[in-house]
Amino acid sequence: MAGALSGTARRPAAGPDVGQPRPAGTMLARARRVGRLFALLARRALLLAVLLATVFAAVELLPGDAANATSERGESAADLEQRRALLGLDRPVLSRFTDWMTGLPSGDLGTSARGESVADLLSRPFPNTLLLGGLALLVTLAVSLGLGCWAALKPGGGADRAVSATATGILALPEFVVAVALVLVFALWTGWLPAVTLTDSDGSPASWQMLVLPVLALAVPQIGWNTRIVRAALADEAKAPHVESAVIDGLPRHRVFTHHLLPGAMPTIAAGIATSTGMLLGGAVVVETIFNYPGIGSVLAGAVADRDSPVIAGVVAVTGAVITGVLLLADLVRAWASGGRT
Amino acid sequence: MTPARKPPPASGPAEAAPTEAAAECGPAGAAATTPSAPGPSRPARGVPRHRTRKGLVLRVLPALLLVALAAVGPWLAPHAIDTPVTAPYAEPGAGAPLGGDQLGRDVLTRLLAGGRELIATSLLVAVLVTAAAALLGAVGALRPAVGRVVERAADVLMLLPAVLGILLIALSWPGGGRYAVIAAAVVMGVPYAVRLVSGAAAPVAASGYIEAAAVGGERLWHLVVREVLPNLRATLLALFGLRFVAAVYIVATAGFLQVGPQPPAADWALMIRENSGGIVLNPWAVLAPSIAIGLLAMSVNLAASALVPQPGRKTVTAL
Repeated sequence: MAGALSGTARRPAAGPDVGQPRPAGTMLARARRVGRLFALLARRALLLAVLLATVFAAVELLPGDAANATSERGESAADLEQRRALLGLDRPVLSRFTDWMTGLPSGDLGTSARGESVADLLSRPFPNTLLLGGLALLVTLAVSLGLGCWAALKPGGGADRAVSATATGILALPEFVVAVALVLVFALWTGWLPAVTLTDSDGSPASWQMLVLPVLALAVPQIGWNTRIVRAALADEAKAPHVESAVIDGLPRHRVFTHHLLPGAMPTIAAGIATSTGMLLGGAVVVETIFNYPGIGSVLAGAVADRDSPVIAGVVAVTGAVITGVLLLADLVRAWASGGRT
Repeated sequence: MTPARKPPPASGPAEAAPTEAAAECGPAGAAATTPSAPGPSRPARGVPRHRTRKGLVLRVLPALLLVALAAVGPWLAPHAIDTPVTAPYAEPGAGAPLGGDQLGRDVLTRLLAGGRELIATSLLVAVLVTAAAALLGAVGALRPAVGRVVERAADVLMLLPAVLGILLIALSWPGGGRYAVIAAAVVMGVPYAVRLVSGAAAPVAASGYIEAAAVGGERLWHLVVREVLPNLRATLLALFGLRFVAAVYIVATAGFLQVGPQPPAADWALMIRENSGGIVLNPWAVLAPSIAIGLLAMSVNLAASALVPQPGRKTVTAL
């Protein structure tokens, strides 16, 4: 992907020096580029740290704590105090906060209301959720790129209107509504695919067929969003002067499309797909509940029942880290595409 | 900066709004400002066919009808929402056109009763988010320091999926119930909405008459409420539509995850969750509320996109 985005393609009226490194100030430019990458990295890390601090504060400042939430009927006040001490809830907020934050980089996510390590609770289901979300992201990327480009090739035509209207129609549908429709059609009426996920002994889905419906349920609304983003980004790029000059130069249409239009639209598309990551991981929680998929959705469902906020905070921490990574990738795509000109 | 954090293009409503004539015909005024480029890869964003007043009404009407139906639904219901009238998961029959749910309660009754609170909550969220974003966005455009703080807050919240945000707030605030969902939806929605408003407000804030008023010693409050916001009517209307779409999604998802309305309340999202076990016995118990939510989301989205001046909303997500 990076090669196609190497900036030169965007320059209008490409001269003889296409693809050649610029001779003057190369060292300085390289140093500046490395510096910018570090700045991007530091910025993303800082944003993640602020999010985690906010999450901790939200759990602390709102009423209700884990010891109360898991209390059983007839439990005495002394028992409650004892468990509170066991969970460390009687220590000052600030020291617990520093403990939690300093534990995070080493993979320690704290202790759940039931006294288990949150990191252990998440270590098995989270890869399953990443698999589900990653597959949905790939499907979203492929389908929305395909549909968006197809629509953009014949602007204003029948395909364009049909794709845009469908995309607008499905983008607002909640995932669980899509999931119910998919289960009815593909599991109950036709019987082609299983409606629930069975797990192997190692806790992963037993067969790939069990992934199809959850992935589709997750991807459909995101395809709606991203098709529109791809379509709009291409329409914007079509107005750029270098595309016009390529057309005037008499280059074939498909070449203009692949070498001039698409590279320029790529940063917007990458940012759109990156933004979808959060929606996919959030939607996964819902979709997993429907399909009984062994991911963090099931852990969260248990945490909802127990009012177990440390677990939720842990899930937010891991999810936030994943989203940070994907957004950083989108930043890098943009940095490459702009070819050191920003 | 990724494009995701780029303020949305300020063309469209911001340009169309300041003149009274353009504001009169709403977003229709924006279509005329769209330029077209020559060449085979000409953008498809020519003059849309539906940007007439009649077209606008046609696109908003389904949402209005559905909202009205959900509002009067509880009075049309033939049975009480919490009394069993059939066997559990009974198939559609004489007394119950859509059959029974997992406790044998009439699905049609619960369907008619289950939309009002969902829609009312979503409307409230949309109003709150739009109002907060309007004020913050206008202040941010006039005072860059405030604008930067808001921008950073949006960057941070982008790392938190809306569903997790709801769960976090709803669980940390056990007694919150419906208010926790509303609070979560507002907190999650405002940062994105502020970006849209401040993007549209920036050219207005930089215009001569605002500077004249500021030099003339007008207070910030006066500038925001009397000078900037009236010029953003079209943007704010479009924003309200989009926030309503997003709120329906969030409130329905919260209902599905059982952090919103609690049983035995009738709620479309809750009905889907409760009855999914009996989907083979009486599919209507799940299908009917799913269709209701699907229709609501699509019709509200249709209405919202009729209010939005241009299709290229880039990467400002609805959530």
